[in-house]
Amino acid sequence: MLIQVPNKPKTENRKPKTPLAARLLEIALGGVFLYAGALKHLHPQEFAEAILAYQLLPQSLVGTAAAVIPWTELAAGLFLIFGLKRRSCLLILALLTGSFMVVLLITMARGLKIDCGCGLFSSRQVGWGAVLIDAAFLVWAAVLYWWELPARGES
Amino acid sequence: MIRRLVGGDLAWAAFILGLAVLFGLGQHWTLVRVSFKGELTSYLDKERAARREAKFQGVKTISLAQTYEIFQQGGALFVDARKPEEYAELHISGAIHLDPWKLDMEGPRGLEGVEKTRPIVVYCSQVQCDASLKVAEKLQSLGFSEVAAFLAGFNAWDQAGYPVDTSK
Repeated sequence: MLIQVPNKPKTENRKPKTPLAARLLEIALGGVFLYAGALKHLHPQEFAEAILAYQLLPQSLVGTAAAVIPWTELAAGLFLIFGLKRRSCLLILALLTGSFMVVLLITMARGLKIDCGCGLFSSRQVGWGAVLIDAAFLVWAAVLYWWELPARGES
Repeated sequence: MIRRLVGGDLAWAAFILGLAVLFGLGQHWTLVRVSFKGELTSYLDKERAARREAKFQGVKTISLAQTYEIFQQGGALFVDARKPEEYAELHISGAIHLDPWKLDMEGPRGLEGVEKTRPIVVYCSQVQCDASLKVAEKLQSLGFSEVAAFLAGFNAWDQAGYPVDTSK
């Protein structure tokens, strides 16, 4: 007698598939940070001047920040575009934008009128406009991270 | 489960950050080194001067004292190359607004009746910005022969207590 073993559902051992909309949003976010990182990497002296203008870091650390931040954006953006370790990349981008938000708010509280050095499409002065754009990227990364969690709602 | 997942994500994030640190330090070691040695400002000044030398050849630059002397003599046209909102807030008395973007899009508006030999002083915010040099170079290419860029910019002028106003 032939005993039939019930077929395991095919999806049981697979990772849940990321919706196409989420992937597209990740690629777009990765693209933005790849572009911003590349601009800063190509003009490191100008980026160092932008960091200096914030008057937050000691001069001895400004060079390190100007060298490392562009590569953090480049690496996270590139990994995200290619779909590698997406949640980790989203965490990095949330950390970057969250830290930058704090820097912007401190700078506004101190009344400094400087260029934000954001490395995006046009120069922008530190102010509520820059804060809003930064907040949008922070929410973008956080929502995508939540979307990527396979067991959301279970815990 | 969520905690384990987030822990794993953080570990990979730290790994990616480590890669970024390695590549960043490797690619820009000179910048990191001069910064550690406390020579960052002079290094950036030298680099900026070299970049401008190559990019804005032939644009005359003037100091704060020279600019104030020209201002006192009268007759020169002052051009504010900063953003419109900065100009609207405060600018050198009598200056007109013309930033690089506006100049590219609309041409030299506001300079229609100005003689080509009239002295023109262009400024932006501070020594780090290139807007004054960009506008000065463009005006020279349009035939204005007495153009100079005031590199220390509006911040230096304002700090010196020289005349400013908010009118257009």
